[in-house]
Amino acid sequence: MEPSEVKIGFIGAGNMAFGITKGILLSGGVLPRNVTVSAPSSNNLGRFQELGAAVTHSNTDAVAASRLIFLAVKPHLVPAILREVAPHVTREHVVVSVAAGVTIATLEELLPPESVVLRLMPNLPCMVQEGALLFSRGSRAGPGEGALLKTLLGPCGLVEEGPESWIDAHTGLSGSGVAFVYLFAEALADGGVKMGMPSALAQRIAAQTVLGAGRLLRDSGRHPAQLRSDVCTPGGTTIYGLHALELGGLRAAVMGAVEAATERARELGRK
Amino acid sequence: MSVGFIGAGQLAHALVKGFAAAGVIATQKITASSPDMDLPTVSGLRRMGVNLTTSNKETVKRSDVLFLAVKPHIIPFVLDEVGPDIEDRHLIVSCAAGVTISSIEKKLQQYREAPKVMRCMTNTPVVVREGATVYATGTHAEVEDGRLLEQLMASVGFCTEVEEDLIDAVTGLSGSGPAYAFTAVDALADGGVKMGLPRRLAVRLGAQALLGAARMLLDSEQHPGQLKDNVCSPGGATIHALHVMESGGFRSLLINAVEASCIRTRELQFLADQEKISAAAIKKTTLDKVLQQPGVSGAGVTVRTGISIFNSDSPPRQKNS
Repeated sequence: MEPSEVKIGFIGAGNMAFGITKGILLSGGVLPRNVTVSAPSSNNLGRFQELGAAVTHSNTDAVAASRLIFLAVKPHLVPAILREVAPHVTREHVVVSVAAGVTIATLEELLPPESVVLRLMPNLPCMVQEGALLFSRGSRAGPGEGALLKTLLGPCGLVEEGPESWIDAHTGLSGSGVAFVYLFAEALADGGVKMGMPSALAQRIAAQTVLGAGRLLRDSGRHPAQLRSDVCTPGGTTIYGLHALELGGLRAAVMGAVEAATERARELGRK
Repeated sequence: MSVGFIGAGQLAHALVKGFAAAGVIATQKITASSPDMDLPTVSGLRRMGVNLTTSNKETVKRSDVLFLAVKPHIIPFVLDEVGPDIEDRHLIVSCAAGVTISSIEKKLQQYREAPKVMRCMTNTPVVVREGATVYATGTHAEVEDGRLLEQLMASVGFCTEVEEDLIDAVTGLSGSGPAYAFTAVDALADGGVKMGLPRRLAVRLGAQALLGAARMLLDSEQHPGQLKDNVCSPGGATIHALHVMESGGFRSLLINAVEASCIRTRELQFLADQEKISAAAIKKTTLDKVLQQPGVSGAGVTVRTGISIFNSDSPPRQKNS
């Protein structure tokens, strides 16, 4: 399938669906009229309409109008939705589930046999096309579908493929990781306030610091340890600050956070 | 060229052993002096073919490069003793932690207009030719003097010149560093023993792991963080262990250690500059023996707090009994 020809459907009209829609439309690779979004209420559909996408309240209509279907509803709604749309899912469809904790096995079980299923874990910054997305292919999804998804989602941020066992780690690292970064930014700002800066300014600066450092990290291709060393002039301010961080055991705390979030994702996936 | 050591303790022994192994100087051209001939290092030096004497003055007469390899608080006595015997040819290299070039030059300038002084900070692995040495150049030392010292010290490991104000930091890092490593290997071995390894094997493996890692790092352009990544397979044993280490604040402990050693060095230097040395800081037996040496007078020698040991002008002087 050519990306420009693909008819894409979304079941669910929340932030994740919107972020992905924006991404795939922004690139110009997909025509807005080829996108159909379905949600039970009209509350969230307006912003999709503004992008030029078609909207509906019928999940089955969205499935019928599309080849690639994003399942972007809350995890606990997935079984009911799949039971509803399963009769309309054919071998030509590609179902991409964005639901946290819902395994490929569960998806394949609830859909007709031979269904092509992929599981995608995006993260919040998809909304600004700076997401980190990891997807995994189900038993019937071939490299072609993987490549298609990767091309389609490219404008949303970083898109990588991996075995399903990595998806929980991705959730812990990058899904929840976004919140960890917010916490860090807040603490940076609090430090600034303690040292005399007004709170609003400190927060804007903290945000920009995180953003700037993130861009340098991503775009330099260098190891973060190297970048860190480069910033530390001998006996300077940075090394003093880093010492305080090490004393606070920041590294272990962060590793522990990723571990805790990942374990929880695994737990939820087992339920 | 002949080399002399004032002091025949651990440092002199380690350096001589390294120089001998490197073949950079014949041991017959080395003289070492010490008031105490019973030290185990003295017999070690003797066995290596070094000329031993109880007279510092003799060492000075027989040397071109003179290493001051005594404890920092002994330095002023030594300088007073040998000051008159220093000639133009002499290059004085102090290895004493916290003793500044300017304090040495000030002392020697009572006897000589332009004493050639250098200060070096080395470490014990010179004994196996894997030392880490830095040196700073004094006011009257020439470029060739630096090159000569560097040649000598590079034969027993890494050697580079630095500004004198960095030497305390070097002390904290590589001066004390081997002690950190010994402690680490001891503890790693404990871990191995706990998990079932015989002690000797555990120590051997622990030491080899550190040695190998250090070699890899020195040979690589990569950041140690990158090398660490290369060892940590996803979800594997090593990354689990590293998390444990991070939780224990391993990194901050090491930072703290280097800082503590550096600060203590500065403290000791400050005390010396203040010209206050506590009586407890000087081993009485050593002092007694020093005072028994020919040519050493009680004048200008005192350990009472508040009375100068660097300033030979200050009255009253008392011989310590």
